[in-house]
Amino acid sequence: MSDLWRLRTLGYLGLWLLIAATLILARLLPLPVPADAWPRPDLLLPLTLAWVLRRPSHLPALAIGLMFLAEDLFVMRPPGLWALIVLAGTEFLRRRQSAVREMHIALEWGMVSAVMLVMYLANRIGLAIVMTPREPLDLSLTRLIFTILIYPLVVLVLQSVIRVRKPATGEVDELGRKL
Amino acid sequence: MASDRSTEADFVRPVRRLLLGVLAVVLLAIFLVWRIDSPRIERFRAAVIDTVVPNMDWAMAPVTRVSRMFEDFRSYARIYEQNQELRRELQQMRAWREAALQLEQRNAQLLDIAQVRLDPQLTYVTGVVMADSGSPYRQSVLLNVGARDGIVDGWAVMDGLGLAGRIAGVGARSARVILLTDSNSRVPVMVQPSGQRALLSGDNSPAPAMQFIESPDGLRPGDRVVSASDGGVFPTGLLVGEVVQGSDGRLRVRLAADYERLDFLRVLRSRPAERIEDSGRLLRPLDETGLPLNPETGLPYGAEVATGQPGDAPVETPDASAGIANE
Repeated sequence: MSDLWRLRTLGYLGLWLLIAATLILARLLPLPVPADAWPRPDLLLPLTLAWVLRRPSHLPALAIGLMFLAEDLFVMRPPGLWALIVLAGTEFLRRRQSAVREMHIALEWGMVSAVMLVMYLANRIGLAIVMTPREPLDLSLTRLIFTILIYPLVVLVLQSVIRVRKPATGEVDELGRKL
Repeated sequence: MASDRSTEADFVRPVRRLLLGVLAVVLLAIFLVWRIDSPRIERFRAAVIDTVVPNMDWAMAPVTRVSRMFEDFRSYARIYEQNQELRRELQQMRAWREAALQLEQRNAQLLDIAQVRLDPQLTYVTGVVMADSGSPYRQSVLLNVGARDGIVDGWAVMDGLGLAGRIAGVGARSARVILLTDSNSRVPVMVQPSGQRALLSGDNSPAPAMQFIESPDGLRPGDRVVSASDGGVFPTGLLVGEVVQGSDGRLRVRLAADYERLDFLRVLRSRPAERIEDSGRLLRPLDETGLPLNPETGLPYGAEVATGQPGDAPVETPDASAGIANE
């Protein structure tokens, strides 16, 4: 029983890694982008935040840090800063997992939006401190708004397709502990 | 159970916190190192991408194929539009072709009516280039025709298309041709639409410069440059080239003659142009002694006065008109 649980956790971790790799790969594909297109929303961030709020045990901090560091490397961002900020954001949400568990989805959405906004500001401030060129403000803000707007959709997919839900009352983990 | 969990938390939580701190410090360090020593980290980034992305070929291939198919499909959808567009263009081209044919016929008719003979004086001797000076600019070449063939100093030399230079130095069986690009070459030219005259002076560059232009604003790159007969050096109207603007802003001439392949050259036999020295002879008939005759009576003006026909005398006095004619 315990081994089965362990395997399921590892399987979910593998699934997340696969999805993240696919999303990063999709951004590298040489697909033609129309010149006046809207900035595409970032899918990996809302997925990760929603996942951490539902099953924190699936996503260890090390995996999150390394995956976002890899994303930094691949999409030509300054490496390390965004990974660090995402790590901080997920840890913040991980601590509040028990509180979020009873929240309505709208409230959760507001909280996650606030976290994303703070992460975005922290990223910009961090880049400004070391005097690195930053993305245009309007484009990155539009992108952030799209990312926030798409969060409920990501939650829907996460709960219905991937079947990662908030733990129900009385559910136990691999060691038989109450979640 | 509950006690189990709490005992585990006792040592798990600090260790976890420590590992988290280490991870955060490492990430921050990477960022700071990137900021301080960007090339090193960028090299690392390039190495990572180099190792990972080519392995993704199997993943990229179907996606790029699908997207290309999509593009192809879109272009198929536009095929009707393209066809219509091409038809329209073809129609326009037909109209132009018709216009060109008509113009050609008209030109032939006009030439026939006018009985134009193009430069009957310009016969030529063709010579083979034996040697050139060997410098990278080929400033002068040697021809295998010379005084034996009637070559005279100063005659113009063309290749099939345009003026190439002029004879400077004639031996018995060879002649030296100074090319237009030589730094000693000065040739009078005329720019065709505006009719301005200038001096084409070689300066060892492939495109000789134009000097003494009356108003450079009147010239445009692309204008035709032909030779002019100023100074009696050259026959008029030989194609020299077209005006270009050099990188230094000066107006230069791109020569029509192909200087890369100077194999056969034509030396044009030019006769010295007849000079009009005395304008009076052409303006008025004269008798044997040089006195001007009245064109109406055929008599000298003095004789008219003597025979008593003052009403027919022109307004100018005969002395005045004779004075003008003798000048």
